[in-house]
Amino acid sequence: MAMVKRSEFLPWLPAVGRKTLFALVLAFICFAFAFPVLWLILTSLRPESGVYYVHRGTDFTLASFAEVLSDERIVSAFLNSALISTLATVFSLLVTVSSGYMLSRFTGPASRIWFGTIYVFRCVPYISWVLPLYFVTQSWGIYDTYIGLLLPHIAVHICFFSWLMKGFFDGIDPSMEYAAMIDGCTRWGAFIRVAVPSALPAISALAVLCWLFTWNEFLFALILTGNRVPVITVVMAQFVTEMGLRWNLMAATAVMALVPAFLVALFGQKYVIRGLRI
Amino acid sequence: MAAISLQKLNKHYGSVFHAVKDVDLEIADKEFVALVGPSGCGKSTTLRMIAGLEDISSGDIRIGDKVVNHLPPRDRDIAMVFQNYALYQHMSVYDNLAFGLRNKKTPEAEIKAAIDRAAGMLGLHDLMQRKPKQLSGGQQQRVALGRCIVRNPQVFLFDEPLSNLDAKLRAQMRIEIKRLHAAIPTTSVFVTHDQVEAMTLGDRVVIMRDGRVQQIGTPLQVYGKPANKFVAGFIGAPAMNFIDVTVRSDAGLTSIEAEGLRLTVGLAEASALAAYNGRRLILGVRPEHLVLGDGAPGLGFDARVEVVEQLGSEILLETRVGGASVTAARVPAESVIARGDQVRLSAQPGRLHFFDPETELPISA
Repeated sequence: MAMVKRSEFLPWLPAVGRKTLFALVLAFICFAFAFPVLWLILTSLRPESGVYYVHRGTDFTLASFAEVLSDERIVSAFLNSALISTLATVFSLLVTVSSGYMLSRFTGPASRIWFGTIYVFRCVPYISWVLPLYFVTQSWGIYDTYIGLLLPHIAVHICFFSWLMKGFFDGIDPSMEYAAMIDGCTRWGAFIRVAVPSALPAISALAVLCWLFTWNEFLFALILTGNRVPVITVVMAQFVTEMGLRWNLMAATAVMALVPAFLVALFGQKYVIRGLRI
Repeated sequence: MAAISLQKLNKHYGSVFHAVKDVDLEIADKEFVALVGPSGCGKSTTLRMIAGLEDISSGDIRIGDKVVNHLPPRDRDIAMVFQNYALYQHMSVYDNLAFGLRNKKTPEAEIKAAIDRAAGMLGLHDLMQRKPKQLSGGQQQRVALGRCIVRNPQVFLFDEPLSNLDAKLRAQMRIEIKRLHAAIPTTSVFVTHDQVEAMTLGDRVVIMRDGRVQQIGTPLQVYGKPANKFVAGFIGAPAMNFIDVTVRSDAGLTSIEAEGLRLTVGLAEASALAAYNGRRLILGVRPEHLVLGDGAPGLGFDARVEVVEQLGSEILLETRVGGASVTAARVPAESVIARGDQVRLSAQPGRLHFFDPETELPISA
């Protein structure tokens, strides 16, 4: 990848000016991204009466967190979300990795048809899947179950991430696998023992993306689950009631929902960056 | 150890591209054969078919006395070195070397002994715990060679193994491969686009173009008696000069003429050219067979110097003779020659090649 050197950018500007400009732009971007999060955290720390005056209030409390954590439904929503995200990641990776590999290495009709299928499904607007999926899960009797939410998620992952995985494998020299086949492996063995380990940074990156995708997903969760399988994104939205909006509780839940995503992003970042560079 | 035999080997990609056409090749046990040709000539495809990495469209491949047409690579008892080394990036050098033997369920002690022996030969002892990424290109290629040796296969296949190395290292590795083949005589097929590699390494050289074998012979044969104009131009560096000439037979003397050039040929050549009297043909003469100054009578001509390339040991002259450009090598390095000078060049007797302009086949005495 050709990187533009800093000195080649706006060459008429003196070096100090260029540095200042960069710092300002970076600061602005960071602020633009961080501001809503900061506001959210502040809101979550305010008592219920103060949520509309976040910028003025001085009294802070952890009461909202305590209230949220004492709510069984919210705690189980957390656990459900974590479980579904993890399962969806594991199962979709099993398919995505081999499907990406097939798309990258094989050019036969099977590969082309698979590619076409994924392409078509990717082009369908996300929202237009929801209603059919609702009917399907209803008629299969898996509405409002783990499976009923897992399967659609895995399908979405496969469509969205097989392409990424194909790109990763395209970047890995296939002669390594040929060498393995000559060294006594079957085609499948070469994939498992040589291609997959070499793609491990990319696979880790994909795992992070998959996990966060499902953890953050709202639309499917809203339509495909009811009371039996509460998930965090839906539960959070349910603080909007006839009685009014419980902003402080919603903010507290949201802050807690940020934590796992934040951790995954923090520790997975290394792999994501390495993986995306393969 | 085993001989390799290719019979009427063909490779089609779809219905459009015929990559390898009726290749027949017999490689003796322990022989080192170099496949050479320009890119896209089918040499790599041929090698990959021998390896089993590419299906064959028709024909037979035998390794030893076994037809291996449909055997997967792992059952062919071969080892291969790739252009980009193809080391397993996630394994240490030791594990890379051990990979093949572990697949064969060889006891670890035996593996260790085999690796020790190979590492000694290739100077890999200090690198055992490193990962391929921590090695230089030359070291990586040495590990790749080691991975082949350790397995002790029937056949070594090399797919342009030196192309990614710089010129100096390439020369060094060439010698190393040669030494290796002497120490462990194993049937080897070496694919390269570099004719120097092919000539220096091969017991025999196979020249390919457009999927067809052009000539099979020892380095001396393909250099001295090229089977056609393509081989003549491909083998040898700098490349052979080709000049369009007309044959004139007059009063028992046969000469060939072009603008600014009139050479009288010897008796043997004259009889071969008898049938071509008055017709056009292509004269081929290698740059190293042109000498500065007057040589044998009737073989001299004048040339105007266009480019002087001083190599230190000799000078390469790029000259113009009439409409043709003629390269002369082996000009003494101390010669004082400048661009635009007129020089006298002479062909060495018996070193002229003639080719039919239509068939491009040699017209030999």
